[in-house]
Amino acid sequence: MKSSEDYTKFGDEKLISLIAQAHEQALTQLYDRYHRLVFSLALAIVNDRETAEEVTLDVFMRVWQKAGTYRAEQAKVSTWLTHIARHHAIDILRRRAARLDQSAIHWEDAISKLESSYPDPQESAEVSLRREHIHAALNQLPAEQRQALLLAYFGGYTQSQIAELLAQPLGTIKTRLRLAMQKVREFLNKENRSENKSIAAESAYSTKKEE
Amino acid sequence: MADLSHETHVLDLLPAYAIGSLDADELNRVEQHLLSCWDCRNELRAFQTVADQLGFAAPVAAPSPDLRDRLMQRVHSVNTVRSKGQEPVATPAPARPFWERLLPAWGLASLFLIIGLAASTLILWQRVGRLEFATAPGGMRAVPLSATGSVPSATGFVLISVDGDNGALVVDGLPPLGESQQYQLWLLRDGQRTSGAVFSTDEKSYGGTRIRAPRSLLDYFAVDITIEPTGGSPQPTGTRVLGGALPNP
Repeated sequence: MKSSEDYTKFGDEKLISLIAQAHEQALTQLYDRYHRLVFSLALAIVNDRETAEEVTLDVFMRVWQKAGTYRAEQAKVSTWLTHIARHHAIDILRRRAARLDQSAIHWEDAISKLESSYPDPQESAEVSLRREHIHAALNQLPAEQRQALLLAYFGGYTQSQIAELLAQPLGTIKTRLRLAMQKVREFLNKENRSENKSIAAESAYSTKKEE
Repeated sequence: MADLSHETHVLDLLPAYAIGSLDADELNRVEQHLLSCWDCRNELRAFQTVADQLGFAAPVAAPSPDLRDRLMQRVHSVNTVRSKGQEPVATPAPARPFWERLLPAWGLASLFLIIGLAASTLILWQRVGRLEFATAPGGMRAVPLSATGSVPSATGFVLISVDGDNGALVVDGLPPLGESQQYQLWLLRDGQRTSGAVFSTDEKSYGGTRIRAPRSLLDYFAVDITIEPTGGSPQPTGTRVLGGALPNP
């Protein structure tokens, strides 16, 4: 591929296939698209900019080295990136000692930030839409279920650690977490179904117009 | 879906498993159950999809503007082992290359010689009925794998170095696949599966490979082997043919 090629016009999957062939410009293009998503997630987990930047570097290095293992039928590229980022960040978090006390404060703050999160004009339409959907899904949860879910997902806490952190019985936390995941799953399924219907309706409308 | 009664399945635990928040006792229970339950693995995938969406909820933030340059510097520093047009290389070898320490000049051939010798030893152990988690020569751990109903003839084992930094897999009775498919080994931990190897078997249904993982093999709970598209998948998609619990906490 010529160095003057416009990589911005390529879709994510094409970029990944080019990265697998060691096209550095494809990597920088993917970075430009998703570094904020990856960094935001890492920062939400590790609560330290320097560490979050290291996580971001590690995620894109992993893409550089493992692009050939990506399978589009399994996950979108953005999901693949967040999956890698989350696990790497949680690993770092779990290696830190005496985390419970420090994070209690961090998470009070983070949850309120999340609830008032604003749209990012620099992110792609797909990321914006997915962000919008997941925020809507989380906002429909009772506050205590949302809190348990966010502590588990972003805090990397086990159920018993959350119970200790919130001074609640373990059984209560287990129920909150289970219900929260089930409700988010149902909500996202509904959103996907209605989105698919809209796409089908738009497509039918376009076909009719062309006729 | 088959009868998914909560007494025999682990459905209530799957949402927490998908986000890695189960405590050790329940985590072990779920991972043991998932080794043999297709229905629960299927249900788990739905919750893993939910877990994957949660990452998009993070409050928006931007890294330093120079991070992109730092990424490319790092890329250039590893490019000495990768040239344009080649398949991507795997994660760099662990800091303490166990197999190379044993036999530095023999390379891959020596690895398979070791595997072969260990296999012979293990077969003897099996014959005298002693094999569960055997301690192989040199303090390595040898973990037998069990066949599933899909390929009942399959056998195999995983060898893990003392420090857990290195491991190898040997399988027998796994028929060679077409060009479009390969076998893939998965390492289970905290509700997540990490690819440890993608490999093929020969015309005698025999195969072996080194296991590479982002962390010590002693940190994983179990292994699975599935049939995947050539090159491997990010997560298991195909039929599970072998599996086994690792002797780790």
